[in-house]
Amino acid sequence: MILVVAEQHEGKLNRATWEAIAAAQQLAGTAQQLAGGMPISVAVLGASTGGLGQELAAAAVAEVLVAENAALEPYTPDAYAAAVSAFIDSAKPAFVLLPHTYQTRDFAPLLAARIRKPLVTDVTGINGTGADATFTRPMFQGKLAAQVKPHGGSPAIITVQIGAFRADAVQKGGSAPVKKVDVQIDPSAIRQKPEAPFREAKQAVDLGQAERIVSVGRGIKSQENIALAEKLARAMGAEIAASRPICDNGWLPMERQIGSSGQTVAPKLYVALGISGAIQHLVGMKGSRTIVAINKDAEAPIFEVADYGIVGDLFEIAPALITELEKP
Amino acid sequence: MADVQRETLEVDVLIVGGGPAGLSAALRLSQLQQEKGGEPLSIAVLEKAREAGAHMLSGAVLDPSTLRDLIPDFKEKGAPLAAEVHDEDVYFFTESSKLAFPIIPPPLRNHGNYVISLNQFVRWLTGQVEAAGVDFFTGFAGQDILMDGARVRGVRTGDRGIDKHGQSKPTFEPGVDILAKVTIFCDGVRGNLTKELHRRLQLGGREHPPQFAIGLKELWEVPRDRLKPGTVIHTLGYPLKHEEFGGAFIYAMPEGQLSIGFVVGLDYKDPLFDPHMAFNRFKQHPFMTSLLEGGQMIRYGAKALPEGGWNTIPRVYMDGALIAGDAGNFLNSMRLKGIHLAMRTGMLAAETAFDAVRAGDTSAAVLKAYKDRIDRSAVRDELYPVRNVHQAFGYGLLPGMAFAGLAVATHGWLPEDLHGHPGHDRMKMLSWYYGTRDVPIDKPSNATAVDRKLTFDKVTNVHFSGTSHDEDQPSHLLVHTEICSSICGPEYGHPCTRFCPANVYEITHEADGTPRLQINASNCVHCKTCDIMDPYQVITWVPPEGGGPQYNGM
Repeated sequence: MILVVAEQHEGKLNRATWEAIAAAQQLAGTAQQLAGGMPISVAVLGASTGGLGQELAAAAVAEVLVAENAALEPYTPDAYAAAVSAFIDSAKPAFVLLPHTYQTRDFAPLLAARIRKPLVTDVTGINGTGADATFTRPMFQGKLAAQVKPHGGSPAIITVQIGAFRADAVQKGGSAPVKKVDVQIDPSAIRQKPEAPFREAKQAVDLGQAERIVSVGRGIKSQENIALAEKLARAMGAEIAASRPICDNGWLPMERQIGSSGQTVAPKLYVALGISGAIQHLVGMKGSRTIVAINKDAEAPIFEVADYGIVGDLFEIAPALITELEKP
Repeated sequence: MADVQRETLEVDVLIVGGGPAGLSAALRLSQLQQEKGGEPLSIAVLEKAREAGAHMLSGAVLDPSTLRDLIPDFKEKGAPLAAEVHDEDVYFFTESSKLAFPIIPPPLRNHGNYVISLNQFVRWLTGQVEAAGVDFFTGFAGQDILMDGARVRGVRTGDRGIDKHGQSKPTFEPGVDILAKVTIFCDGVRGNLTKELHRRLQLGGREHPPQFAIGLKELWEVPRDRLKPGTVIHTLGYPLKHEEFGGAFIYAMPEGQLSIGFVVGLDYKDPLFDPHMAFNRFKQHPFMTSLLEGGQMIRYGAKALPEGGWNTIPRVYMDGALIAGDAGNFLNSMRLKGIHLAMRTGMLAAETAFDAVRAGDTSAAVLKAYKDRIDRSAVRDELYPVRNVHQAFGYGLLPGMAFAGLAVATHGWLPEDLHGHPGHDRMKMLSWYYGTRDVPIDKPSNATAVDRKLTFDKVTNVHFSGTSHDEDQPSHLLVHTEICSSICGPEYGHPCTRFCPANVYEITHEADGTPRLQINASNCVHCKTCDIMDPYQVITWVPPEGGGPQYNGM
C-alpha cells in the first residue's frame, strides 16, 4: 500500500497534499481506472483536525486515517517523525508520499534516518507503477533529471515537488472510510521546544501556495509603478511577486522573489509583467500551469515559456486588464 | 562590532586556500612529519568554497612532474587523470578558416601530460590530505590578515550572519582568529589577502607589475565521434585583433566532454571590448561550430590567471608568512600551465615552514630559504628563460611570437629585461581609442548574436556556473568611490559591464535618466577580473559569506 501524509496548518489543508495524492494515484496505477493497483491510505495528523478527514475522503483512496494527539501541536520534527513511523510500523506501506513542503523538508530526512529507509526528495515524475516504479528528480539546479530507483527496503519515502503533479487531477468520487487512529507520542522524547512564530513569519507569504501570481520585473521601471502591479494582483485575486532586480532594489521584500535565489512556484496562473525571463527566473516559475507574459521586447526569453504572450507596453496593457477585471 | 568575542585557534602552520598549492603544502607537511617524527605539527587549511574543489577552474592540462614527486603512486591512489594527451594541434584562426602550425611550438608540446578536470583533481587531492589527518575547513575564507608590525600572525575569517544593510542577523557569528607560526598564503590569482600583503609590505617591484588574463571556459557534451579523448588544440588569432593577447583551448575528455576555453590578456586597449563576447565569437568560427553542433553546454566558469611570469613574482617570504601558487604569480603563460608550479611552490613552502617551525625561528631571514629553494628548483628552470615573453606580447601578436621563439632558442638571453605595464593602464579612453566620446556604449564593440544554444548571454552562462550566494549580505564587491556616471561613463563607457564575465556590474538608469551602478553581487564567480581591470582601481573584491560557483567537473 501507499501512505500519503497530508499537511495541515491550523485546520487548513495544504493544497500540495492534493498533489501528493495525485502522485500516489499515479504510482498506484489507479490514475486511469479507479479499481486495481496498490491501495492508498491518506494520513492526517494534528492536535485537532476538524473536518479534514472528510475533506480528504472525497479522493479515490482506500481510507483516510486521522491521528489526533496534543503532542502534534505545535509542529515539531520529533513528534511528526514519531507519528509517521508509528503509521509505518502498523500499516507497512511500500511507499510513503509527502508534498515537498518546508515542513516535509524539516522532518522527512529525520524520519528516513530513524527508520533507515531510502528517501527520494523533490520528485517531479513517476515512471511505471507499484514496486517497479522509478522516480525523476532534479539535480544541479534542475539542469539534469535523474531517474532514481530506491533500494534498501520498504517503505521508500518520496517527497513530491510542489506543482509537479496537478491537484485538480486527483481522482475523486470515492467516499473513503475515515478512521481514527491512536498514535503514541512520548512528549518527553520531543527535543524541540518551538517558540512563538517570528513576527516576520506571520507576514511572510508562502508563494508556493498561491493559485495566481502577478510578478514584476525591471520593465516596471520605478518603485511608484509597483502600485499598478499590486492593483492588477488585487483585481485578479493574485499574490504579488518579483524577479531579482526588483527585490534587490528593495521595491518588494526579498521573500517575494521568484527564481533560483528565491522561491520556486507553480501556480495555476503566472502573469509576468516586464520580466525578460533570465534562466534564473525561469527555473523558479516554469512549472506554472499557464504563463502570461507582457513585455516590450519580442525577443525576450520569457516568451519561450509563455502560453500567452503580449508584446507591448505594460503601462497600457495592465490598466486595460484591470478595467476589464473590475467590470461587474 | 568592535567588542565581539572572537574565538582564537592556534596552529603551527596555517594554509589559506585549498587549491593545488595549499593542498600540496599540507600534504608535504604531513609527509615531513612522518619522515622526521618528533612533536607533531598542527596544520589547518582554510578553503572558501563549501566543498573541496568547487571554486577550481582551469583548462586543464596537467604536467605530472610535481605530482610524481609528491605522490609517486598517484595512479594506484586513483588520481582522476581523465585522458593522456596523445594528439595535439595549434591553429591560427582567420574569420572563416584555420591554418595549422607546421610544427607544434615546443612550449605547447604536451606529450606525457594529462587532460584533467581540476575540480575532480582537487577533490581527490583533498581526500589525500584529509587521510593524512590535516584539518581542512571548507566554507571559511580568510578575510583579514592579523599582523604585529611587519610580522604576519595569522588570519581572521569572515563574520557570518550580517544582512545587506550591515546589521547583525539572529544567526550572527563572529569570524575566528587563527594564529600560526607560519601562514602560507595560497589564495589564488589576485588573492584578497596576498593583495593586502603587497600593499602593507611592498612585496612587488614597480618595474614589473603583475600581469593578468581572464579565462572563460565552458564544458560541452558533444557526440563522441568529434574528437578523441586526449586531443589538445590551441588556437591563436580570430576573433582577437593583433593588439589583443590571447587564444583558445579545446581539450577532449572521455565520454564526449569537451573543455573549451578562451583566454584574453587583461591589457586590451579597446574600452568597449568584451572578453565574453570574444568567447562567443570564437564559438561561431566554422571549425568550432563543426565541433559543437548538436552538443550542449553543461557548465560555465571564468577566472583570472597570472600571466606576467618570473619577473612579476613578488617577495614570497616575510616574517611569519610565505606565498605559493597563483597568489605568487607562479604560472607559465607560454605553456599555459600553472598547476604543477602551484604544487611545486606549495611543497617548497611546506619544507621551508617545517624547518623553520622546528628551528623555532619563523622570521623572514629564515623563511628566505623558500626563495632559495625556488631558485634551485624546476620552477626557476622553467620560468626564468621565458621571463620576458608575456611582456613582449605587449608589442603585438607577431613581435610576441617572434620573441617567444627567440627566448626558447637562446634560453632567455637578453641584455635587459622588458618592463611591463599594469594591464588596466593600457585600456584607452573612448576619446583616444575612437577619436570621440560620442560612441554608443550600450553594446560591446565586438558584440555578436546570442542564440542561447551556441552563444550565450552572461546571465544564462552564470546559471551554468552553479553560482549562488545568500542575497541578504553586504556586497562583497567594494566600490570605494562611485564615479560611474560622473567620470567613468564619459571616459571609458562603464567597462566593468563588459570585462565582468558574470553580469555583476550593470548600469541601470534612474527615472530621470541618470546612470546608476547596480552590483549583482550574488552573480559573482570569484574571477577577480574587476579587481584587476578597473581602470581607476576603485573596486576591491573581498570574500562573501559563503557561496560562489560550483564547478563540478570543470
